Order: sequence, then structure tokens, then C-alpha cells
Amino acid sequence: MADTAKSGEAIIRLENIVKRFGGAEALSGASLTVRRGSVHGLVGQNGAGKSTLIKLIAGLHRADEGTVEIDGKAYDRLTPHLVEELGVHFIHQDRLLVPTFTVGEALFLGRELRFPGTPFLDRAGMRRKSAEILERYFGLSLPHSALIAELSAAEKQIVQITRALIANPKVLVFDEPTAALVRREADLLFQLIRRLSAEGVTVLYISHYLGEIVDLCDTVTVLRNGRDVATLPVAETSAADIGALMVNRAIGELYPKPDVTPGEVVLDVENLALAGRFEAVSFRLRKGEVLGLTGLVGSGAKEVVRSLFGLDRPTGGTVRIKGETVFSADPAAATRRRLALVPEDRRRDGVALDLTVTENTTLASLDRFSRGIIDRSAERRQTENLVKRLEIKTDGVDALVKTLSGGNQQKVAIAKWLSRQSEIYLLDEPTVGVDIAAKVEIYRLIGELAERGAAVLVLSSDIEELLGVTDRILVFFRGSVTREFPSSETSPGEILADVTGAHETLRHAG
Amino acid sequence: MLVDAPYIPASVIEIEAQKAFETGKPGPAFGRQLATIALRGGALAVFIGVLVVFSVTAPFFLTVGNIGNVLGQSAIAGVLAIGLTIVIIAGGSNVVTGGIDLSLAANMGLSAAVYASLVQAGHGDGLAILGALGTGLAIGAVNAAAVTLAGIVPLLATLAVMNVVAGLELVLTQNTVVPASTDFLAALSAGGPFGIPVLAYILLGFTLVVAAIVQYTPLGLRLYAVGAFPDAARAAGLPVKSFVAGSFLASGLCGGLAGVLSVSYLSGSTTGAGDMLLPVVVTALLGTVFSRRLVPTITGTLLSALFVGFLINGFQLLNISSTLVSGVQGLLILLVVSATTLLGRKENA
Repeated sequence: MADTAKSGEAIIRLENIVKRFGGAEALSGASLTVRRGSVHGLVGQNGAGKSTLIKLIAGLHRADEGTVEIDGKAYDRLTPHLVEELGVHFIHQDRLLVPTFTVGEALFLGRELRFPGTPFLDRAGMRRKSAEILERYFGLSLPHSALIAELSAAEKQIVQITRALIANPKVLVFDEPTAALVRREADLLFQLIRRLSAEGVTVLYISHYLGEIVDLCDTVTVLRNGRDVATLPVAETSAADIGALMVNRAIGELYPKPDVTPGEVVLDVENLALAGRFEAVSFRLRKGEVLGLTGLVGSGAKEVVRSLFGLDRPTGGTVRIKGETVFSADPAAATRRRLALVPEDRRRDGVALDLTVTENTTLASLDRFSRGIIDRSAERRQTENLVKRLEIKTDGVDALVKTLSGGNQQKVAIAKWLSRQSEIYLLDEPTVGVDIAAKVEIYRLIGELAERGAAVLVLSSDIEELLGVTDRILVFFRGSVTREFPSSETSPGEILADVTGAHETLRHAG
Repeated sequence: MLVDAPYIPASVIEIEAQKAFETGKPGPAFGRQLATIALRGGALAVFIGVLVVFSVTAPFFLTVGNIGNVLGQSAIAGVLAIGLTIVIIAGGSNVVTGGIDLSLAANMGLSAAVYASLVQAGHGDGLAILGALGTGLAIGAVNAAAVTLAGIVPLLATLAVMNVVAGLELVLTQNTVVPASTDFLAALSAGGPFGIPVLAYILLGFTLVVAAIVQYTPLGLRLYAVGAFPDAARAAGLPVKSFVAGSFLASGLCGGLAGVLSVSYLSGSTTGAGDMLLPVVVTALLGTVFSRRLVPTITGTLLSALFVGFLINGFQLLNISSTLVSGVQGLLILLVVSATTLLGRKENA
């Protein structure tokens, strides 16, 4: 298969693509050549530019610079419709099927069959034909009257692929197709991709799971910071090598990390489980320690953090805070135990945009400032202290939080918990969407929290950042902690290999 | 390794997850099916129960004359409810953000007033019909523009249009009844074959035509796709906004047609067309329980129009106060909406 791939001519070619959104460059000179008949993998970290590249091919974005060629012909005004006519079809991560439709209706929507010579739908014909196609390609037989809503995730995925197959595609683009599938279903999908490839369909396969890429693809292109850093034949590389290419190995002096000797255990998690999300998660967090959690979406890391704060109710295991067992799934109780959560979506959950800096800062600790009525001057004094300490850039403590930059909003979200005198901080993706200077300040703040004796848990998908700010890192993969790394002696590539399951061997069922 | 937890291969969890997946899946699906059957069966049982109770207590209830009467009386509300059903299909059945056309009853009132005024001014039925249908279509166009161009939620957009239209009707008629009687109107409101009113035949014929388009053509299938899952419709290359706009035009036209029917039924325009809104909304929402997939259908709407018609008729025969009728209708809306919302929640869980 790899041989024919090398000899095939380019069916999709992107040259030196530049794409800007506002001031930011999402792609800065990326190129990609997919050859006819190949199974081509595309990998990169979040923000590397993968989805922008795919949307360019799909005709949803237009490049600012560079050329897009399909089948040897350059197009500067691609539309989704034109792309489909050229034979390029997309299998999106979210299955775009109408839940109240039967399988036949969903498959033929937009190109319905009619009784010849009438305007009326031939439902029986669509049913017969879809049953035939599903049987031939997938050996799948679904009940005649089955509605999309009644199908499993994998069956929906199959219906979506079949929709593309009916149109006789030349190229199929799979965007994270296994994200919602269990192993057995993913195996079925891989079998299918191999068979399609054998039938001459070109496949572009985007995935976070490096193991899948190595297993399935013959060629892989790695994107980093909006550029393609390498295109390699998979036979000559390994998941670990690909992982190393994905991350920037030069870690500068971004991470001012103070030396803190950890104190007593304040958070003791034992065999924590939430059915279907994560299982047997155990770890201890000490005073003055910064612990990192990482994993892909759905790996369970985020759900562990939510459970600790009482947003989800665990189905098993125990959590002890300062030696005291906690039972309730109750954020208010967690707050009383001096737990603080700084959520990922700060604009929605972290700060109240239409309130002032002062009001936000004291929101979680109003009891301290009120005896029936709020003591405004005490509130202001406290806020002014914190603004100074955290170096929050604001026009004053009475400025509305929505006028602050993203990084400073995040600092206000943290100040809220400092005011509450929290001792255990759960930070969920604390630097998402803030610029690099603000990131460094947030890193410094994390170090300062630890220095003052707080215990900090940082959940992040930015592995370099985690290595810089934490003492140790737990890696989550599909619902459990697969490994723990000491931050000072680990390279990003090693962690990424675990995050993406490169050490998982995939079953070869095809 | 420093991990406090024993190392568990991810594959073990996956097998567990898979088991949960396999055994767990039939549960909710089965529960949903059961709930759907219960809702549909319940609706039919109530329908039949109401018929039985009325036919036992009111002697004239189950006579051909009375049934024809009910069909005829339901014609106007039925046509309006079919228009509303088209909007709900294309806009989705989310009660807050989905498709709804609150201007339909006011539309009927204004269209009827236009028809009656044109006849009063000495014009023929042909021009009056064009005037009424044109009025309906224009109102539909305003709704379509407000929803698809200005991006206003249908609930608010059509509420505003409803008030504008009701105001225009007041201006046109000076809040009086404009009488109109022509041979054409007389023929419409007369009795037809088998002692069943012509209006009843019009309702059945109209339902047949619209049901054929909505339920049995590609156009109709696409309309459902646009309402149920706009992203999927877009991915299938369908112009979502055009479909939504088209649904408002269609419902506007239904308002115009209902206006013509109401002029014939009442021999003139009427004040207080707005009172029609509640029964029309009840009819369209109730219609979903008569479909296998619990989606709005044209035939389901016809059935529910008859149900509401029989309910009102039965109350009249039993000399029950008509004020009670709108109470019962309000109750029905609450029941149907909460039942379908609960079912929908189960589906998403």
C-alpha cells in the first residue's frame, strides 16, 4: 500500500498557506501534499493549525496567501459545494444526522430517490438501497424502521461514512473519527478505512491518537505553530518521534518556579471513580506542591477535577481533605473546606463580566465583609491589596471585569479565591486564550501560591507549560491514570506519547 | 513509578465501558419507546374517551350532521394550524427558540377584513381573494424577513408582527364588523354532499394537498431536516434560511386562506380574531402526539384539529360554559409541551 502511495500524484496540494484571524496567524506558511491512494495522517497539538487547514480544504475558510490545488487544478474560491463536486468528502467528528430520520432518509437527504416521473419520495427504494449498501460495506443490518436517534455512536458514524460513499468519493477526510468510539467500534472503522484505501479511495486522517496514525497511515504530516514541520513515511518513524516533532522542545526561561519543600498531605484521593468517565484514580497532594494533570478530551482528567470540587458525584472511592473524608457532591461544602476552582471557561464560570473588580474579588467571601450590609471600604482595601499583589492591570478596583484583558480576568478569578483564603487550588486550563506575557505572570502566580503554602492542582493540555510549573504530572488515558512523571526529569515527547496512547498497541483486525 | 494507584491498562476500562455501552443502550431506548407508546396511546385513548363520553351524554353528538358540523367549524382553525405546523417543522419544535407563528390568528383577521372591505367597495370575489391571500403572504414575508434576515427569535418576531397586524385590522375596520355576502361566499358556507358543509371538504382537500407535499416529497423531507438539525441540513447542502423563510410564507398564505374561509363562515369580517390563537397553537402542538416519531405532521394536525373541534362542540352540546373551553385548551398545551419536553430530555440523556 505504501508503495502505490509514493508513486501516486498529488490529489490535494496546499502550498505555503497563510491564514490570519484578526491579528493572529493560525497558519504561517503551511504546506500539505496528499497523494492519490495514500492514507495520510495529519497531527499537531491544539492550536497547531490542523482544523484551520481542514476548513481551508473544505471551502469553509479562504487562504490569505498560498495556493490550494485539488486534482492538479488550483482554486482560489472553493465552496463546500464545489469541494464535494470534486469528490472530496468529510466525516466530521460530530455526526451530522437528523435524529428523527430513518436510516434511509438520513442517507439520501439532499439527493432523495423519487418514484420515476413523480415528485414523490420513494421511501421503500431508499430503504432497500441503504440496506444494500450497509450490508455490502459493513455487514451491518439495521431494522427497517430504525431512527438515527436509536443508533449507537458507531452506527451513526457508519451511516455518516455511508452518506459520503454514496457520492463515490475520491478523497475522504476523517476529522478525529474515533473520539466517541469504543475500541471495538474503532477497530471496525480501521478495517473499513483499509478496505476503502484498497479500493482506491484516498484518505486524509486527522487524529490526536498517535497510535492510530502509526497503525493506519502510510504517510504523516506534523503541524506545529501553523507550519508543517515534517512529512514522513510512517514506516520510517515511530509514535515517539512524531510526538517529539509535535512539541517545541526549547523550553526557555518561561517558567519561574520557586523551590518549595512540600508539607503535609492536604488532599488524599483514593480509588476515585465515576462510572463511564474514570476509574481507580488515586493521588496525594501536599502543601506547597504543584501537581499537573493532563490527558485528551474524554480521558477523565477534567472529570476528576470536577468531582473533587463537587460538581460531579463520584460513584466510588474516597476523598480526604486534611484527613477528613468528604462525602458530598456539593461545591458550597468544597468551598468551606477551602477548595478553590478556577474553571476553564472563565467568561462563563470564572468571573462575572458585568461586575467590578472589587465585586468579583469578594464574591466568594462576602461573609467576611458584611454584617448584614456590606462594608464597602473593607472590600476595597482587600481588593486593592490583591490587585497590587497579583499585579492585575486595571483602571482601578471599580473597573468592570469585562474591560480587562483575558490574562487579567484570570487573575481576578484567582484573586476571588485568595480573598476567600482558600488552601487547595484546582486550576482548569489556567492559561487558555491569554497571551504569552500574561501566561508567564500566571505561572509566577502559581509558584507564589505554592510558596505561601497552598496546594495547587493544574489541569492543562499544554505539556510544556505543565513541565514548567508543576512538581509532578499524572497522565490520564481513557479513564485512568496511566503514568506519573517527575516534571524536572521528563521531556515533553515522553509525556505526549502517553497522552496520545502511543504506547497502546492497537489490535490489527483488518 | 510513584503513582499511588495500581497501574490499570486502559484496555480493561474500555472493556468495562463497552459492557456498559452494550447493556446500557437498550435501557434508555426501550424506556423512550415505552414512553412514546404511552403518550401516543394515551392521546388516542383520551380522544376516543372524549368521543364516548360526549356521545353517551349528548344525544346528537355522534350524528352525521354534527360530525360534519364539527369538521366545518374546525376548517378555519385547521387551516391555520396546518400553517403553524409547517413553521414548526421548519423551525424545530424547541418551545422557546423553535419555529412558531403567533401572528396567524391576527393574519386571518386582517385578511378577512381586506376581503370584506374589497367586496364592500364593490370589487369582485376574484380580486378579494387575491387581496386576502396577498395580505397573508405579505405578513408571512415580514415574519420571514424578521426571522431570517434580522435574526429575531420567531416567538418574539411573530409576537411583534401579531400586534402590528391586529392594529392594522383595527385601522381598516374601525373595530366594526364589515359585512360581506356574495354568491361565492354563500357557496362556501353552504352544505355539500351527504349533508356535510363545503368548508369540511375544503379542510380535507387542503390537508391532503399539504400532507402530500410535506410528508411525501423530497421538499418536505428537507423541511424536516432543516428544523430537526440545521447543521445536518447545511452539511447536506440545503439552504437552511430559505427553507425557514419559505415556511413563514406558506403559513402566511394559510392565514390568508383562513381569512377567506372566515369571511364566508361569518358573512363578513370579525373583530377579535386574536381569540383564535390559543386553539390554533393547541392544535398544532397536540398534533405531534399523533405521529409515530413524535414529530409535527400535517395529518396529525388534522386529527388534533378534529379533537379540539369535538371538545368545543361537546362542551356546547352539554351546555358547559365556553369560558371553561379555553381553560381546557391551556391545560392541553401544558400537558403536551411538558410531555414532549420530558421525552426529548430522555432522548438527549
